[in-house]
Amino acid sequence: MFSFVISYLNFLKYIPLFPHVFDSLLRVWVLVTKPKLLNWLDEIEGEVLNWQGTNVSIHKYGGLQFNYRGTEIGHIHSNGLLDVLYTLKIKEVLLKTGRVSNHHVFAKSGWISFYIKRTEDKKYALELLWLKYQDIHGGNTESHRVYLVDYQNAITLCEPLYFPLLSSVRLLLEI
Amino acid sequence: MKKDIYEFEVAKGFILSNIFAFAIIGITKHFAEKQGVLIFSEFVIVPFVMGVICAWSWKELGMTRGRMTWVSCLNALIGIGLSAIILKEGAICLLIVSPLIFGFMITGAFTGRAMFKKNNQNLNVSILSLLFVLFIADSLSVHQYENLVSDEIVINAPPEKVWKNVVAFEKIKEKNKFWLFQAGMPAPMATTVEGYYKGAGRKCIFSNGYIFDEKIVTYSPNHDLTFDIIGQPKDPEIMGHIDIIRGQFLLKDNGNGTTTVIGNSWYKLYVFPVWYYDIWAKSITRNVHLRVMDHIKALSEKN
Repeated sequence: MFSFVISYLNFLKYIPLFPHVFDSLLRVWVLVTKPKLLNWLDEIEGEVLNWQGTNVSIHKYGGLQFNYRGTEIGHIHSNGLLDVLYTLKIKEVLLKTGRVSNHHVFAKSGWISFYIKRTEDKKYALELLWLKYQDIHGGNTESHRVYLVDYQNAITLCEPLYFPLLSSVRLLLEI
Repeated sequence: MKKDIYEFEVAKGFILSNIFAFAIIGITKHFAEKQGVLIFSEFVIVPFVMGVICAWSWKELGMTRGRMTWVSCLNALIGIGLSAIILKEGAICLLIVSPLIFGFMITGAFTGRAMFKKNNQNLNVSILSLLFVLFIADSLSVHQYENLVSDEIVINAPPEKVWKNVVAFEKIKEKNKFWLFQAGMPAPMATTVEGYYKGAGRKCIFSNGYIFDEKIVTYSPNHDLTFDIIGQPKDPEIMGHIDIIRGQFLLKDNGNGTTTVIGNSWYKLYVFPVWYYDIWAKSITRNVHLRVMDHIKALSEKN
């Protein structure tokens, strides 16, 4: 259903409120078919809001958007589809993990998509958001420059929770 | 938070939002350019603001996404139920309108939640003022919409044989295939005619006994049967929402023993937004056409 609308009715997103209503109806569908997913979204929201300087808003095409001081970290549509924008280099590395895919619309951009389907996906979604958060959060600091140059150093800046993803990014960059 | 306070706040959202909605609909009906016209704002802005009102009432409750979606759905059901009682809308109408009500009410609730979390009074007032301006502009606009639905079928019989089944036909015994007919929407059953001439009365009888009174305005045997609808049943499913103005059957001899039959219907809509309701109007009219035309085909191809 979601894929059909995105593939064939994508132009409707330019009608004011249409994507938001579509997202609301998706939420009703999820509530009936997979209510746990909405709890996971609440938990992700709660966790991200614990990060310094973050807030949430409604994404322009429907869904929950996470921001850090006015810059988008990523957004989750109500069917559990997480979209995050990285640099093409980071995206390439993430694609090699096999867990994320090209963005469902902008395949050639730095955007990636990740479907939250199981409980363990919630943690991975948080890792993806954390990775982006680190990218923006540390943008003007010395540690961030180190992070961009050497992912090994970046890992030491992160919470243990987010270690696995950053670790895999580092390993894949080295390959 | 105590359970009774929680329930009171939830109920407050339901009550305030529904009072707001029916007050607005009442005011709009009173000042409407034409009685019975239901405008875009009533199906879009009203449920959206109902959601915002709920979000305001529930802002201290710390509702989860799932809970907020459930209670918004419940509020939408309450609104739809009250529409059946107060506005005397039919079940099929309410079924058709429900995706709009559910969609915009939940969107309003989550937008309201985001608005009240930010606690930016300027932004909140701006959003509500914009909605108010949109509502006024829509209420003052002229609402008029007419459309034509056309369908075509090829029948393996010459026009002379098809013609007699076009003007009037015996009862349709075929089971309804269209889901709305199966859900209880009246389906065409039979057509009778007073005579085979221009000006003759014609009656289109529907499954629940409702009758559309028609008058033949063009009678060109084997070519063109056009009729105006002069009396429409007072059915709550269609009353004031759609008027079927004219119907037409055009027959084209294909020169190989077959006939192309084109069925046309002209209608006027009194419910807006057109981008939503016209999809339904077209689909229903098309299925009326197809049920009748398939029947004409079966009768004409019978030996």
